[in-house]
Amino acid sequence: MTMRRRYRRVLWAALIAGAMLVGSAPAAFAHGERAQEAYLRMRTVAWIDVSFSKTTVKQGETFTITGTAKILNAWPTNLAAGDPNTGYIGIIAPGPVVLLKERTINGVSAPSRIDVCRGCIYEFSMVVAGRRPGKWHVHPSFSIKGSGTLLGPGEFITIEENPDGFSNPVTLAESGSTINLENYQLSFTWIWLVLTFLIGLAWMIYWTVPKRTVTNLAVTSQIPLNTDGMDYGLITKKDHRNMNWFALGTALLLLAGWIYQAQAFPTKIPQQIFQFAPPQPAIAKAPVFAEVGLGSADYDSANKTMTIQVPVTNTGQTPMDLQQFTTTTLKFATGTAAGPGVMTVAPSATVEPGSSPTMLTLTMKDPIWEEELLVPIGESQLLITGVLVFETPDGQVNYAELEANLKPRFD
Amino acid sequence: MAVDSKTLELRALKDKQYRWIDRKWDLVFWVTAAFVVGAAADITKQLFAGDWDFWTDWKDRQWWPIITPFAIIIIGSALQYIQWLAWRFPTGMTYTAVCMFLCTLVGRWLQWGAFVYYPMNFVWPATMVAAAIFADWVLLKTKSFVLTSLIGSILFAITWWISNYIPLAPYLQPAQWMDRVVTVADVQGIEYVRSQTPEYLRIIEHGSLRTFLGETQYVSLVFGATVAVAGYWVGQFIGRGLAIWPIGRFMKKW
Repeated sequence: MTMRRRYRRVLWAALIAGAMLVGSAPAAFAHGERAQEAYLRMRTVAWIDVSFSKTTVKQGETFTITGTAKILNAWPTNLAAGDPNTGYIGIIAPGPVVLLKERTINGVSAPSRIDVCRGCIYEFSMVVAGRRPGKWHVHPSFSIKGSGTLLGPGEFITIEENPDGFSNPVTLAESGSTINLENYQLSFTWIWLVLTFLIGLAWMIYWTVPKRTVTNLAVTSQIPLNTDGMDYGLITKKDHRNMNWFALGTALLLLAGWIYQAQAFPTKIPQQIFQFAPPQPAIAKAPVFAEVGLGSADYDSANKTMTIQVPVTNTGQTPMDLQQFTTTTLKFATGTAAGPGVMTVAPSATVEPGSSPTMLTLTMKDPIWEEELLVPIGESQLLITGVLVFETPDGQVNYAELEANLKPRFD
Repeated sequence: MAVDSKTLELRALKDKQYRWIDRKWDLVFWVTAAFVVGAAADITKQLFAGDWDFWTDWKDRQWWPIITPFAIIIIGSALQYIQWLAWRFPTGMTYTAVCMFLCTLVGRWLQWGAFVYYPMNFVWPATMVAAAIFADWVLLKTKSFVLTSLIGSILFAITWWISNYIPLAPYLQPAQWMDRVVTVADVQGIEYVRSQTPEYLRIIEHGSLRTFLGETQYVSLVFGATVAVAGYWVGQFIGRGLAIWPIGRFMKKW
C-alpha cells in the first residue's frame, strides 16, 4: 500500500469517526448541576416546596414557578468570603427559550438584584412566558455574588408553537404604547449599522481598487514617515479633497442620526439598578420551636441508604411533626414505607415538647444520593446539610438546618 | 518647477509594472488579511469590553464610553501604522473597523441569534466605522502619529460614542415594568434569560465619577478619550514592535 493511499485511509477513518462521535452525541438537557461539588449544593441554599404551575404552555402563555429558598447558616467560608450579601433569583434555561415576565420576592416586586444574608428566607414567585417551541429543562436559580449560580429543582417545560403568532409586549412609560420587544427598532438599528459600514467600505474601495498597494513599498521604504508622498504620486491633492468630503459626509450622517434620535426618542433615562432588602416573610418572624443539633450520617452504598441520627428539641408548647428533609434539589417527605423520595423517622416523626433532645433516626433509601453525586466521598467537606421542616398542629412551621458529619464506608 | 532625479526615480518606481506582484496579489492580501484583522480586533474587544458590546443593558453612560474605545482602537492603530508605513494608505483604522464589523456581525447573528435565540435588537454589535474614518482622516491631514494619537484618538472616542448612542437611543426609553420605571434595555436584560450572567454582574453606573453636577456622561467621555490615546499607543507598540520590527529582522536575515 502506498503512503498516499494509507494517508487517505487514515483521513477517511478520522472523518468517519468524527462524524459518528458528533452524530451519536445526545443533546444536553440538564445544566451541569451534578458537576458542582456536593457541599456546594447542600451547604449553600435550601429549596423548599418548589413547584411549576404548568409543564406545557403555548408561546406567549405563562406559567409560574413558586417556592422558598433559604440561604443556610452553614454557608461555607470559602464562598463569597463566607458572607453572602448580594443575590439574584432567576431562571436557568437553555438560552432565552422562556421570558421572565414578573418576579416577586417575599411579596414585593423584585425586577433585579437583592440584598441577601445568611439564614434569611426568600419566598419567590416568577411568572414565566414560553418563547421558543421545544421541550426545555428549566430551573429556578439563586446566584450569589462571589460564589456563582446555585440551581433549584428543575422541570421539563414543553412550549408549543402558537398558531396566532408570538410577540413580547412591553409598555412604554411615557406614551403608554405597547411595543414588541422581539423586534422593536431592529430595522432602525440595522439601517444605521449598515449605513456606517457602507461608508467604511466606500473608503476602503477608494484606496484599494484604483491604487496599487504592495508595490508602493518600494517607494515608501525610501521616504520619511511623516510625508504623504505627494511628490511621487502616492497621495494626491484629489485624494485629500475626496477624503475631506468623506469626513464631512460622515459628520453629516452623524448629525442627521443625532437629530433623528433626539426627535424620535426624546425621553431617555440611564439604565436602572435596583438593589434592596426584601421584607422578611412571615415564616422568618414565627416563633422558633425546633432546635436541631449536630448530627451524624452514615451512607450504606450497598443498600443505597442514607441514615442520619440527629438530636432534636421541641422548645414549643405543642407537639411538632417532622414533615420533610430537603437538600439541594432533593426532597424527602416523611413516610412509613422506605423508597425514593421518602424519609422514615424513628422512633417517631412527632416530637413532644421538652427541654431534653430526642434523638431521631432519619432513613432515606434512595439511589438518587449516588445518582446526583451527593455523597461527598472524595471531597474536602464530608457533610450532609439541608433543612428539616417541622410543623405544629396549629400550622406553625419552622425550617431548621440539619448538618451531619458523614461517616462513609470505604468498602 | 525642476524635479530632482531622486523624485523622478521614485515616481517611476511607483508606476513600475511587476510581472508577479500584480493586482491579484493585492486582492489576495486584502481578502485573506480581513479575517485575521477582524478576528484580532474582535478578540481584543472581547477581552477588554466583551459584555459592554454584547448587551444593550450594559451600554451605559459611564463605563461603556471608557472601556470600549480603548479596546477597539488598539488593533486599528497597529494597522494604521503598518498601512501608512508600507503603502501610504490612511486606511488602517477603517480597514479594521470594516473587517471587525463583518466578523462580529456574522458571530452575533449565528451564535447569538440562530443558535441561542437572542433577539438581535438585544445583542447588536457596536460599530466603530464612523470613528475610524475620522481617525484615518486625521492621519491623512497631519501625517503624524503623535498628532493622530492626540487629535485622532479623542475624535475617535467621541464619534464612536455618538455613532453608537444613535442606535442605542430607542432602548433607553423608559418602560413600565414590574411596578417600576426602567429602560427598554433593562427589560431586555431581565426578560431574555442570561443563565450564567446574573444581573448584579452588570458593571454599569458603578463608581465615583459623579462630580460635575452629575454629568457623568461628559466626564466619562473625556476620560474615555484620554484612555483611547493610551490605547492608540498600545496599538502603535504592537504595530511597530511586534509586527514591523520582527518582520524587518526576518527579512534582513534572509
